[in-house]
Parts: sequence; C-alpha cells; structure tokens
Amino acid sequence: MSDDSHHDVSPKTIEQVYKPLTRRTFLKGAAASMVGMAGLMAALKPLLELEKGEITLEGLLRKHYRELGPEELRKIIGLISEKTEREYGVRPNLHDRKPSEGVEFGYALNLSRCVGCRKCAHACLKENNQSRDDASDIEMSYIRVLEMNQGAINLETSTAYYNPTAVPQKDKYYMPVQCHQCRQSPCTKVCPVQATWQEKDGVVVVDYDWCIGCRYCMAACPYDARRFNYKKPTIPKQAINPNQGYLSNRIRPKGVVEKCTFCLHRTRDGKYPACLEVCPTGARVFGNLLDPDSEINYVLNNKRVYILKEDVGTLPRFYYFFDK
Amino acid sequence: MPPSSSSRSPLASTANPSSATDSKLQLPVVAKPDPKQPAVGLASDGHLDKTPPRKTKGLDLVKAGWSYNCMECHKLFPARWHYEGALNEHKDITLDHGNNRFCLNCHHATNRTAFVDYDGSEIAEADVVLLCAKCHGTIHRDWKAGVHGRQNGYWDARQGDKTRLRCIQCHDPHSPKFKPIAPLPPLKYPARGANPPQAQTAQHSDKH
Repeated sequence: MSDDSHHDVSPKTIEQVYKPLTRRTFLKGAAASMVGMAGLMAALKPLLELEKGEITLEGLLRKHYRELGPEELRKIIGLISEKTEREYGVRPNLHDRKPSEGVEFGYALNLSRCVGCRKCAHACLKENNQSRDDASDIEMSYIRVLEMNQGAINLETSTAYYNPTAVPQKDKYYMPVQCHQCRQSPCTKVCPVQATWQEKDGVVVVDYDWCIGCRYCMAACPYDARRFNYKKPTIPKQAINPNQGYLSNRIRPKGVVEKCTFCLHRTRDGKYPACLEVCPTGARVFGNLLDPDSEINYVLNNKRVYILKEDVGTLPRFYYFFDK
Repeated sequence: MPPSSSSRSPLASTANPSSATDSKLQLPVVAKPDPKQPAVGLASDGHLDKTPPRKTKGLDLVKAGWSYNCMECHKLFPARWHYEGALNEHKDITLDHGNNRFCLNCHHATNRTAFVDYDGSEIAEADVVLLCAKCHGTIHRDWKAGVHGRQNGYWDARQGDKTRLRCIQCHDPHSPKFKPIAPLPPLKYPARGANPPQAQTAQHSDKH
C-alpha cells in the first residue's frame, strides 16, 4: 500500500513543495518588499530631514530637557529661534523661565458668572501661536467651553459647538474646560518616554522635542485637555506672538501633543494668563496657592468650590466655584 | 466737567458755512466724544482684546452743540424725588435697577457731578465703587479681594501692578444686569466621545 502511495505522487504536489516563481507569488513578494522599503524609508526620514537642514544633529542627539545644562539649553533655544525665524519670518523672544520657589499655581472659574462667550478660547489661540484663519486648520484651543443644561453638571448632555446669536441662553450655563494641572496626573504617568511631567509650580508641561506623538496621554486625560498637532501650524507672520516659552507657546512641530500650561511664559513672569486677561465677566481667578492672601485662596476659603470629576482622584489645581 | 477738547466747541463742526445758511436755524451738531477710558492691562498684550464690556460715559452733557455741566440745569430744575419713567431730559436713561428707583439715591442733590453717601456727603465721580458698595457690600468685598470683576496685569505684586475694572466698566448703573453678548464662533476642533459635531451643527441649522 505504501508503494502505491509513492507512485501516486502528482506533479502538483511537487510544485507545491518547490514553490516555483509564478506570476502571483512574484507580485506578492514584490508588494511585501515594497512595504518593507517604505517602512525603511519612513524610519530613515529623519536622516533625510537632517540632510535638508530641517532638523539638526544636535537636536537629534540631545539629552532630555531635565538633564540639560544651562549652556546646552541656551544652544537649543538658539537653534529653535533660528528655525522659527527661517520658517515663519519672525525671530521669537524664546526663553525658558524656571519655576519660582514658594509658588504653586491655582486657577478658579466662577460658573455663576461665565456667559460662554468663548473669548478665552480664542485668546488662547492667539497667545499660544496656534493654527487659525485657515480653512483646513483645526483650531485646537486649550479651552473648550461647554454649554450645559441647568439643573445638573452633566457633561454627556453638553455641547461645545453651540452658536446662538447671544449668550447666555435661557436654561443653559457654561463651563469652560481646560487642563486641570492635576496633582495626580494620569497623563504624565502613561507617557512611555517621559516627555511630559509636572513642574515644581504644579504646571504639567510637554517637551515638544521629546514627544513621540503616541497620544497615550490624550487617552489618559479625563478632561480631554490635550491636543495633537495633526499638521504643521500655519500662522501669518504678523499674527505670531513673539513672547515664547520653551515649554509653553513656542511654535510646535507636527506630530506632537500640546496642552494648556497656564501660560507659563506669562505667569512665571508674574502676569495673568491670557484667558483671564480677556474674560469680560471676570469669571476667572488665578493665583498662588501657597500665598494665604492670594485671590485663589480667597475663593477656596470663602466660596462653594466644585471639582470636576473629583471621583477619579486626579486632585486638580483647577477649581470651579459658585457665587450668589 | 468743562469742555476740554476742541471737538466739543460749537464752532468746530460748522466747517461748511453754505449748508448752514440753507435752513433757517441749524444748530451745529457736536458728537460727544467718549470720555477717556482708563488703560486696562499691559501695553505688551496688544494681541489680546481686553476691552471692558461697557464704556464709561462721564457725567457731562452735550446738547445743541454745547457741553453742559449737570448743575447748570439742575440749579434751576431740582430733580423730583420720585422717578416715574422718562423725564423731559435724560430720555435715554431707563432706570431698571431693582428696588432702587430714585435718582437721588445715587446722585447728589446739590452737586450733580458727584454721588451721595449715606450721610449726604459727596462721593467723587472717580470713587463710584464706593457708591455701589453702599448696597452691594458683599460684592464689594469680593471685588476688593480680586474675585469679582476682572483684573489685568500682574498677579504677583512683587513684579508689577494690576489694573482692576470698576463697577461701571461692566454694569450700566441705570440697568445693572449684565447684558447678553454675541459669542465668538465655535472652534473647529473635532470632538471625541459624546455629541459628535455633525449632530450638533445639524440641530443648529434647523433652528436658524
């Protein structure tokens, strides 16, 4: 019986064994190697950019922000300024203010006063050098003003895309949401490359040159406070804010995550954040949590304070409060 | 307030004499310039719109080309204590200030360019905050603490000064309720999670 089976070996089986190069397998192999080549090219793309001068060897081989010495940081800041000038035509006043001793920032927002005019969200675009005025731009202001139904704080029935002729609307109230600068920040814990961390004054920052754009932090944030650069920012020359901070509003590269930093390039100089500066109702209160006489501590001591999603345990430095 | 700028003088607008002779009596029309608004915030923040919600008007009047001090009329016409709708003058003012229905609750009876305190003494026009504090004490306390109304400039007093909006830069004293304003357009950032933007914009296009 076994002899019979030997004789039964058909040419087809041999073809299967030896897998001669048919048209189909050739195309398959060609397609696979094309994909492989494309992947290789994508992986080597930074080197091509290196040749074109879009990135520099120093930028590619630099250390993590927190390991940089002052001289290295100064050099990197110079390179970024040059790049911005080359690409946008404006030489920014790029600086890197460090957190001050005895300062921890806190923010409070008066839900009884906010009328939902979105001035804060648009001021954020201008202050933080974000893409705007172009039809293809997504305006990723760090502030999202939610229109809420009165009677509950229910985010699920809220909308950020309301557009009536006048605000406030009857039976609605408005809740701007931005980064809460959490003490237990989920976004910094999930970052696989430690490109985001909490500074000493409580601000959660991103090093845009270290971020790999995996967006884990966006998935982790319970406040939807982080934004992703889907494209290279387009800003007209005259609209660029030249007062730029390394960790805050310098013009970001494509493919990195960014977020509200309480305008640390302003607030570390003692100024108010941009969103507070433009609020027509004075609903926004900003100050130093460690100073017992600060405005923010007046709110925390005297007003009814509400913490958004308190149950998730993030311990935010951003508070909502109510007034008469 | 005496007329200070040249644009308020009656001769300023009679630049074209031929049109003036056409009609029998044509009083020159003088636009009342807005009184100088106090500076808000830092000069370096030109890219941010820090305009207060309301322009302050000042207490001087311009009628028929002349600017008047309040007391030039009110020496002759003492105001009635009871306010019952529009008077002959001041028809542009509608008093809608809750239970506060009397002019002389706030305006001084014998010096109309000042406000009146509890004891009848004067509160200067510049100190209008103290006038409002007569009734709105708790709000005044919040305002002094920097929690009611907007502040601009420096949060850190060691590094710079802050400017603070006064009551009448947001509230019309005759109708103090904050008026609805037009919102800026919604941002184009795509939504995640509940309420995708398509559904929302569809609802809105139905309404309009």
